[in-house]
Amino acid sequence: MSGAIWRQHFTFNKYSQIAARAVRQSLVEAERLKAEKRGDTGLKYQKWENGQGGNHIPFNQPKEDA
Amino acid sequence: MAALRSITSSAAFAAVRRTPTAVSLGRRGYAEAADKIKLSLVLPHQALYASQDVVQVNISAATGDMGILANHAPAIEPLRAGLLEVIESAGTSKKFFISGGFATVHPNNALTINAVEGAPLEDFSPEAVRSNLADVQRVLGGNGSEAEKAEARIEADVYESLQYALGTK
Repeated sequence: MSGAIWRQHFTFNKYSQIAARAVRQSLVEAERLKAEKRGDTGLKYQKWENGQGGNHIPFNQPKEDA
Repeated sequence: MAALRSITSSAAFAAVRRTPTAVSLGRRGYAEAADKIKLSLVLPHQALYASQDVVQVNISAATGDMGILANHAPAIEPLRAGLLEVIESAGTSKKFFISGGFATVHPNNALTINAVEGAPLEDFSPEAVRSNLADVQRVLGGNGSEAEKAEARIEADVYESLQYALGTK
Protein backbone atom coordinates (compact mmCIF):
# COMPACT_ATOMS: atom_id res chain seq x y z
CA MET A 1 0.00 0.00 0.00
CA SER A 2 2.84 2.39 0.75
CA GLY A 3 4.36 2.07 -2.75
CA ALA A 4 1.04 2.21 -4.55
CA ILE A 5 0.39 4.17 -7.73
CA TRP A 6 -2.40 6.26 -6.21
CA ARG A 7 0.13 8.15 -4.10
CA GLN A 8 1.23 9.99 -7.23
CA HIS A 9 -2.29 11.35 -7.76
CA PHE A 10 -4.21 11.43 -4.47
CA THR A 11 -3.83 12.22 -0.82
CA PHE A 12 -4.45 9.48 1.74
CA ASN A 13 -7.80 11.06 2.60
CA LYS A 14 -8.95 10.85 -1.01
CA TYR A 15 -7.77 7.23 -1.24
CA SER A 16 -9.69 6.49 1.95
CA GLN A 17 -12.89 8.02 0.56
CA ILE A 18 -12.58 6.16 -2.75
CA ALA A 19 -12.25 2.82 -0.93
CA ALA A 20 -15.19 3.71 1.36
CA ARG A 21 -17.35 4.56 -1.64
CA ALA A 22 -16.47 1.21 -3.27
CA VAL A 23 -17.50 -0.62 -0.08
CA ARG A 24 -20.79 1.30 0.11
CA GLN A 25 -21.64 0.47 -3.48
CA SER A 26 -21.21 -3.25 -2.79
CA LEU A 27 -23.83 -3.59 -0.06
CA VAL A 28 -27.20 -5.29 -0.51
CA GLU A 29 -29.91 -2.93 -1.73
CA ALA A 30 -31.48 -2.01 1.62
CA GLU A 31 -28.16 -1.34 3.34
CA ARG A 32 -26.79 0.43 0.28
CA LEU A 33 -29.57 3.02 0.28
CA LYS A 34 -28.87 3.85 3.92
CA ALA A 35 -25.15 3.95 3.30
CA GLU A 36 -25.23 6.15 0.19
CA LYS A 37 -26.44 9.07 2.31
CA ARG A 38 -23.20 8.86 4.28
CA GLY A 39 -21.26 9.49 1.10
CA ASP A 40 -22.97 12.78 0.32
CA THR A 41 -21.17 15.89 1.46
CA GLY A 42 -22.38 19.42 1.14
CA LEU A 43 -20.86 22.82 1.78
CA LYS A 44 -22.43 26.21 2.07
CA TYR A 45 -20.95 29.51 3.08
CA GLN A 46 -22.14 32.84 4.36
CA LYS A 47 -20.40 36.20 4.16
CA TRP A 48 -20.53 38.44 7.23
CA GLU A 49 -20.25 42.22 7.07
CA ASN A 50 -20.66 44.74 9.91
CA GLY A 51 -22.03 42.04 12.17
CA GLN A 52 -24.70 41.04 9.64
CA GLY A 53 -24.68 37.67 7.95
CA GLY A 54 -25.36 37.46 4.25
CA ASN A 55 -27.20 34.72 2.41
CA HIS A 56 -26.24 31.09 2.72
CA ILE A 57 -24.72 30.12 -0.61
CA PRO A 58 -24.36 26.42 -1.41
CA PHE A 59 -20.98 25.52 -2.81
CA ASN A 60 -22.28 22.53 -4.77
CA GLN A 61 -25.89 21.74 -5.41
CA PRO A 62 -26.74 18.33 -3.87
CA LYS A 63 -27.52 15.54 -6.33
CA GLU A 64 -31.21 15.42 -7.28
CA ASP A 65 -32.86 12.15 -6.23
CA ALA A 66 -33.67 10.10 -9.33
CA MET B 1 12.65 15.42 65.71
CA ALA B 2 16.12 15.06 64.36
CA ALA B 3 16.14 11.39 65.36
CA LEU B 4 12.75 10.81 63.70
CA ARG B 5 13.90 12.51 60.55
CA SER B 6 17.01 10.42 60.30
CA ILE B 7 15.02 7.18 60.71
CA THR B 8 12.53 8.07 58.02
CA SER B 9 15.13 9.38 55.65
CA SER B 10 17.29 6.31 56.08
CA ALA B 11 14.25 4.05 55.61
CA ALA B 12 13.25 5.98 52.53
CA PHE B 13 16.82 5.93 51.30
CA ALA B 14 17.01 2.15 51.77
CA ALA B 15 13.69 1.69 49.97
CA VAL B 16 14.84 3.78 47.03
CA ARG B 17 18.09 1.92 46.75
CA ARG B 18 16.41 -1.50 46.76
CA THR B 19 15.88 -2.71 43.19
CA PRO B 20 12.20 -3.39 42.44
CA THR B 21 11.60 -7.08 41.77
CA ALA B 22 8.84 -6.53 39.23
CA VAL B 23 9.79 -4.39 36.24
CA SER B 24 6.98 -1.98 35.48
CA LEU B 25 6.62 -3.17 31.85
CA GLY B 26 5.88 -6.75 32.89
CA ARG B 27 7.20 -9.93 31.32
CA ARG B 28 6.04 -10.63 27.80
CA GLY B 29 4.54 -14.03 27.25
CA TYR B 30 1.92 -15.82 25.21
CA ALA B 31 -1.79 -15.27 25.70
CA GLU B 32 -3.60 -17.91 27.69
CA ALA B 33 -6.72 -19.46 26.21
CA ALA B 34 -8.90 -17.62 28.70
CA ASP B 35 -7.26 -14.21 28.24
CA LYS B 36 -9.26 -11.65 26.32
CA ILE B 37 -8.45 -8.29 24.79
CA LYS B 38 -10.77 -5.28 24.93
CA LEU B 39 -11.88 -4.47 21.41
CA SER B 40 -13.35 -1.17 20.24
CA LEU B 41 -14.28 -1.37 16.57
CA VAL B 42 -15.71 1.95 15.47
CA LEU B 43 -16.91 3.50 12.25
CA PRO B 44 -17.56 7.25 12.03
CA HIS B 45 -21.30 6.63 12.26
CA GLN B 46 -21.49 3.52 14.44
CA ALA B 47 -19.61 1.57 17.12
CA LEU B 48 -19.66 -2.11 16.21
CA TYR B 49 -17.77 -3.05 19.40
CA ALA B 50 -17.30 -0.77 22.42
CA SER B 51 -14.61 -2.04 24.82
CA GLN B 52 -15.85 -5.60 24.58
CA ASP B 53 -13.72 -8.56 25.64
CA VAL B 54 -12.84 -10.79 22.71
CA VAL B 55 -10.39 -13.63 22.27
CA GLN B 56 -8.79 -12.77 18.92
CA VAL B 57 -9.12 -10.25 16.11
CA ASN B 58 -7.80 -10.99 12.62
CA ILE B 59 -6.99 -7.85 10.64
CA SER B 60 -5.73 -7.13 7.13
CA ALA B 61 -2.85 -4.81 7.87
CA ALA B 62 -1.00 -3.06 5.06
CA THR B 63 2.11 -5.02 6.04
CA GLY B 64 0.24 -8.33 6.02
CA ASP B 65 -2.58 -10.22 7.68
CA MET B 66 -2.24 -10.57 11.43
CA GLY B 67 -4.12 -11.98 14.39
CA ILE B 68 -4.20 -9.98 17.62
CA LEU B 69 -4.55 -11.88 20.90
CA ALA B 70 -4.64 -10.70 24.51
CA ASN B 71 -1.60 -8.78 25.77
CA HIS B 72 -0.31 -8.10 22.27
CA ALA B 73 2.70 -5.78 22.02
CA PRO B 74 1.66 -2.19 21.31
CA ALA B 75 1.36 -1.53 17.60
CA ILE B 76 -0.18 0.86 15.10
CA GLU B 77 -1.13 -0.74 11.80
CA PRO B 78 -2.75 0.87 8.77
CA LEU B 79 -5.43 -1.43 7.38
CA ARG B 80 -6.10 -2.41 3.77
CA ALA B 81 -9.62 -2.89 2.47
CA GLY B 82 -10.22 -6.40 3.70
CA LEU B 83 -11.75 -8.94 5.99
CA LEU B 84 -11.85 -8.33 9.71
CA GLU B 85 -12.71 -11.34 11.85
CA VAL B 86 -13.60 -11.05 15.52
CA ILE B 87 -13.44 -14.25 17.58
CA GLU B 88 -15.53 -13.37 20.60
CA SER B 89 -15.09 -16.70 22.36
CA ALA B 90 -13.76 -20.08 21.33
CA GLY B 91 -15.97 -21.17 18.47
CA THR B 92 -17.99 -18.02 17.68
CA SER B 93 -16.56 -15.63 15.15
CA LYS B 94 -18.04 -12.64 13.33
CA LYS B 95 -16.73 -11.46 9.98
CA PHE B 96 -16.79 -7.89 8.75
CA PHE B 97 -15.39 -6.19 5.68
CA ILE B 98 -13.87 -2.76 6.15
CA SER B 99 -12.69 -0.26 3.57
CA GLY B 100 -9.58 0.69 5.51
CA GLY B 101 -8.48 2.52 8.61
CA PHE B 102 -6.10 1.95 11.51
CA ALA B 103 -5.68 -0.67 14.21
CA THR B 104 -4.01 0.45 17.43
CA VAL B 105 -2.96 -2.02 20.12
CA HIS B 106 -2.62 -0.14 23.40
CA PRO B 107 -0.22 -1.15 26.17
CA ASN B 108 -3.10 -1.93 28.55
CA ASN B 109 -4.50 -4.91 26.60
CA ALA B 110 -6.91 -2.88 24.49
CA LEU B 111 -7.36 -2.81 20.73
CA THR B 112 -8.95 0.09 18.90
CA ILE B 113 -9.85 -0.29 15.25
CA ASN B 114 -10.99 2.85 13.47
CA ALA B 115 -12.48 2.05 10.09
CA VAL B 116 -13.88 4.48 7.55
CA GLU B 117 -16.63 2.22 6.21
CA GLY B 118 -17.54 -1.35 6.97
CA ALA B 119 -20.33 -3.84 7.49
CA PRO B 120 -20.92 -7.47 8.45
CA LEU B 121 -19.99 -9.80 5.60
CA GLU B 122 -23.60 -10.93 5.05
CA ASP B 123 -24.60 -7.35 4.18
CA PHE B 124 -22.64 -7.49 0.94
CA SER B 125 -24.08 -8.61 -2.39
CA PRO B 126 -21.80 -10.76 -4.61
CA GLU B 127 -23.73 -9.67 -7.72
CA ALA B 128 -23.16 -5.99 -6.93
CA VAL B 129 -19.46 -6.67 -6.37
CA ARG B 130 -19.19 -8.58 -9.66
CA SER B 131 -20.86 -5.86 -11.68
CA ASN B 132 -18.89 -3.07 -9.96
CA LEU B 133 -15.66 -4.92 -10.66
CA ALA B 134 -16.60 -5.32 -14.34
CA ASP B 135 -17.34 -1.58 -14.62
CA VAL B 136 -14.04 -0.67 -13.05
CA GLN B 137 -12.05 -3.08 -15.17
CA ARG B 138 -13.57 -1.43 -18.23
CA VAL B 139 -12.16 1.91 -17.03
CA LEU B 140 -8.79 0.30 -16.40
CA GLY B 141 -8.69 -1.09 -19.93
CA GLY B 142 -9.92 2.13 -21.50
CA ASN B 143 -8.05 5.31 -22.34
CA GLY B 144 -8.81 7.61 -19.43
CA SER B 145 -6.25 9.73 -17.59
CA GLU B 146 -3.69 8.28 -15.19
CA ALA B 147 -5.64 9.65 -12.22
CA GLU B 148 -8.86 7.99 -13.39
CA LYS B 149 -7.03 4.70 -13.81
CA ALA B 150 -5.45 5.07 -10.36
CA GLU B 151 -8.92 5.62 -8.89
CA ALA B 152 -10.22 2.58 -10.78
CA ARG B 153 -7.26 0.56 -9.48
CA ILE B 154 -8.14 1.45 -5.87
CA GLU B 155 -11.75 0.38 -6.42
CA ALA B 156 -10.69 -2.81 -8.23
CA ASP B 157 -8.49 -3.76 -5.27
CA VAL B 158 -11.45 -3.26 -2.92
CA TYR B 159 -13.80 -5.35 -5.08
CA GLU B 160 -11.27 -8.14 -5.55
CA SER B 161 -10.62 -8.22 -1.82
CA LEU B 162 -14.36 -8.30 -1.21
CA GLN B 163 -14.81 -11.20 -3.63
CA TYR B 164 -12.08 -13.12 -1.83
CA ALA B 165 -13.69 -12.40 1.53
CA LEU B 166 -17.15 -13.43 0.31
CA GLY B 167 -15.64 -16.64 -1.04
CA THR B 168 -14.56 -17.57 2.48
CA LYS B 169 -18.05 -16.98 3.94
